[in-house]
Amino acid sequence: MNALKHHKYRNAVAVLAGILFTSFVVLQVNSPTVENPPVTSEFHGPEEVTRILKRSCYDCHSNESNLRWYDKVAPFSYKVAADVEEARKRFNFSEWDSIPKADQEGKLWYIVNMIDAGRMPLPEYTATHPSAKVTPEELTILKNYVTSISKKHYAAGDTAAIMEKPKVAHVPTSINGIRYFEDYKTWKVISSTGRPDNGTSRIIYGNDIAVKALEANKILPWPDGAVIVKVVWNSQAPDADGNVKPGNFNNIQIMVRDAKKFADTEGWGFARFSGLDLKPYGKTASFATSCINCHQLAKGTGFVFDIPTRPVGE
Amino acid sequence: MKNLIAVFISASLALAACHDSRKLTPAPETIFDDHGLHVITSFHNDRTGTISVLYGNDEALAHASRERDTHTPGDASPGEVFKLVTWDLKQNPLWFGSNINGAVKSVETVTVSAGESGPVVDYSTEGSDSKSAKNAVLSNAERISFIFAQRASVFP
Repeated sequence: MNALKHHKYRNAVAVLAGILFTSFVVLQVNSPTVENPPVTSEFHGPEEVTRILKRSCYDCHSNESNLRWYDKVAPFSYKVAADVEEARKRFNFSEWDSIPKADQEGKLWYIVNMIDAGRMPLPEYTATHPSAKVTPEELTILKNYVTSISKKHYAAGDTAAIMEKPKVAHVPTSINGIRYFEDYKTWKVISSTGRPDNGTSRIIYGNDIAVKALEANKILPWPDGAVIVKVVWNSQAPDADGNVKPGNFNNIQIMVRDAKKFADTEGWGFARFSGLDLKPYGKTASFATSCINCHQLAKGTGFVFDIPTRPVGE
Repeated sequence: MKNLIAVFISASLALAACHDSRKLTPAPETIFDDHGLHVITSFHNDRTGTISVLYGNDEALAHASRERDTHTPGDASPGEVFKLVTWDLKQNPLWFGSNINGAVKSVETVTVSAGESGPVVDYSTEGSDSKSAKNAVLSNAERISFIFAQRASVFP
């Protein structure tokens, strides 16, 4: 009896092993390969910065992917290929100069912040490629680098004569249906920020629903109907006393909470209207994907960066 | 295999620890109740480590919106109310490169009323920034001039 049971068990194992092996062979044969297209306009920075980026980012964010043998073994090869494809879409150090200078600077800050938050390099990647980890000292080098670029760029501040409000003939509407409105001017200011990274000064307003959610600590998730508006000005150079005052109006950004309508972007609808003529940002509705990609860094506060906070436990 | 599991466990622990340091809770006590006043302008100062928003009533906003080179308390109109709210400035824990307000440090109020021989300007301050009595008169005059000198930000 026992021998029969044992035999049956052995058969089952053999069949299972056969199925697994066949699946592996099929997966491996059809495994996607990661091609390395030519490097067209490479990123140039100080040597110590480039060295860190090459070691920690280039496997996915460049056309110089250096895959190890185990990256090419199914089923992992599928995940690796998909990650590289997505990574190159977000930014590619081998085609760096194909994006405008201002965007390059913004991306560098984004990169530094993703590393700072421990989200990049992907933890599942550094688990198998430990040498790609960015050390605290290296992160400091990167932080100093981006800070120095922005300092140079924004040292003079916005020196242009401050433009007054022109008449906007119609109510601008974002491609996703979010319309510009002026009611926010009667809302409470929930925070204000100074941004040395991009030379701007901001005031952030919340409607009643948003303020009540903050007061009740009910922001995970934020309630439907919460709206947050951010008004952005170019900063002037500091005055003799060090005060940095707003210069020209830059843009206004709106976040509208509707968990169902904006399910694709974590329940937030995004809109941005630039310049005093309030030109809506985004040619297709997919512009919001880049918004939420960055706002993932603020997941702990319901995907909103600029709310008043204190560390838990303080 | 055991090694791989150990690597995954330590990686997820490291990730969890990382998230903890960014664990934040709302601090609604820092939101200023403006009681219907308008935002006139804002500014921040890295030297003093502060960020401020200047509020005002209709008259104050109208005043700060007027084109002018010099502005003195003498040409203030009775009825104007200004409130300058100043917070600590701290690094945004969610974004290296951005500074955001922390706790409220002080609220300065300037009111203009009608007096027998012209407008009377009154100044008061609440919060941790109160000046010592000796220098109060001089610095009050300076603060009034500073607040009057602010021009309204351009809103769309």
